[in-house]
Amino acid sequence: MHADIHLAPACDHSHGCITCGDEGIPARVVEVDEAQELAVCAGEDGSRSTVETALVGAVQVGDSLLVHAGTAIARLEEERA
Amino acid sequence: MRFVDEFRDADLGRALAGEILAAVESGRHYKVMEVCGGHTHSIYKYGIDDLLPANVELVHGPGCPVCVIPMGRVDDGIAIAREPGVLFACFGDMLRIPGSDGTLLDAKAEGADVRMVYSPLDALRLAKENPDREVVFFAVGFETTAPSTALTLKRAKAEGLRNFFCMCNHVTIVPPLRALLESPDLRLDGFVGPGHVATVVGARPFEFIPAQYGRPVVISGFEPLDILQSIHMILRQLGEGRCEVENQYKRVVPYEGNLAALKVLAEVFELRPHFEWRGLGFISQSALKLSDAYRDYDAEERYGVPGVRVADPKACQCGEVLKGVIKPWECKVFGTACTPEHAIGTCMVSPEGACAAYYNYGRFARERAVV
Repeated sequence: MHADIHLAPACDHSHGCITCGDEGIPARVVEVDEAQELAVCAGEDGSRSTVETALVGAVQVGDSLLVHAGTAIARLEEERA
Repeated sequence: MRFVDEFRDADLGRALAGEILAAVESGRHYKVMEVCGGHTHSIYKYGIDDLLPANVELVHGPGCPVCVIPMGRVDDGIAIAREPGVLFACFGDMLRIPGSDGTLLDAKAEGADVRMVYSPLDALRLAKENPDREVVFFAVGFETTAPSTALTLKRAKAEGLRNFFCMCNHVTIVPPLRALLESPDLRLDGFVGPGHVATVVGARPFEFIPAQYGRPVVISGFEPLDILQSIHMILRQLGEGRCEVENQYKRVVPYEGNLAALKVLAEVFELRPHFEWRGLGFISQSALKLSDAYRDYDAEERYGVPGVRVADPKACQCGEVLKGVIKPWECKVFGTACTPEHAIGTCMVSPEGACAAYYNYGRFARERAVV
């Protein structure tokens, strides 16, 4: 049995599969468009994208979200992490 | 990165592997299925199977939505992509899935306008930027992805866009699990449940597995420590004679799921009477189509598709891999005729596919100690 866990570099989502759960990406809200229920979010690599926020209620700058295929499907709350 | 790094700690991983070893009953063989392709990917990427004693066998489930798309549906997508004036948008993984006569990438090379998008919202943007074209989004994915498509269709309707269509291939996870549990050639001891599907649907839909089939389910996160802990929780249930749905991924998954997502799914989609799954055959009420209220956005209504059922290539054993009956390397064409660059079967295409995950991360240490 191998004793070591091989720690690969941080997951490169550009090579991941969008369609599956592996693509749940933690991202932080940096800009909010409340009327449109959209937010600009920054991923762990700093890349920014527009995200649907209709499923997680009103968001504020600084909130952490779990983003899948351009939609926030859950909030990441520190006390639950 | 918070929420990530703390779940990749190697020392904690080794400690958990030790606890798993302690929970294993000597001489007993355990078959645990990880349902989701995301878990399969993590297991190979981090070598989790190498940390387990050989009598804890991980069986890879049908939870890669790209891998379960049958060839006939790919042909239907290609037929739409070849329609004059159509701009066909899909996720990158779908581009290389073989139909009976080539892939979407081949169709693109031959002149079809096929674009890769990262989200349904990107496809909608293409429709807005190209008002003289008809944009068709090829929607695939389980309940995790379906709400994203649903919200985008709602947005298209609210904005009165008439050049946006969806070819819906969304599937649901419970019917194939039931089909697997009914299958006589597979005896499973427990399930690592799909964490992000459960983020949407909650834990409740999995309760039938312990209640009707007497198998434990642990809803799991995707980091290496999540998966190790979930396997340990399953072994502990088996050791203590318990059988229930447990939620290892509480930091993300609420028991009741995401109610806003379930509401939008019910509004935009309805269940198809039956849908063909690669390797599993037709499963009733296992996929979604657009509801009557969204009929105008349904690409299958707009274009009509060949809808021809195409048998899988004889050499390909994706069906057995998807059911967990054989391991990827036991397929006759694995790594020889079938590679990620020239895939025969779907499991070799998506990084979530068991064959591609195994091929890419080359886990050749198949000999492990039996406890």
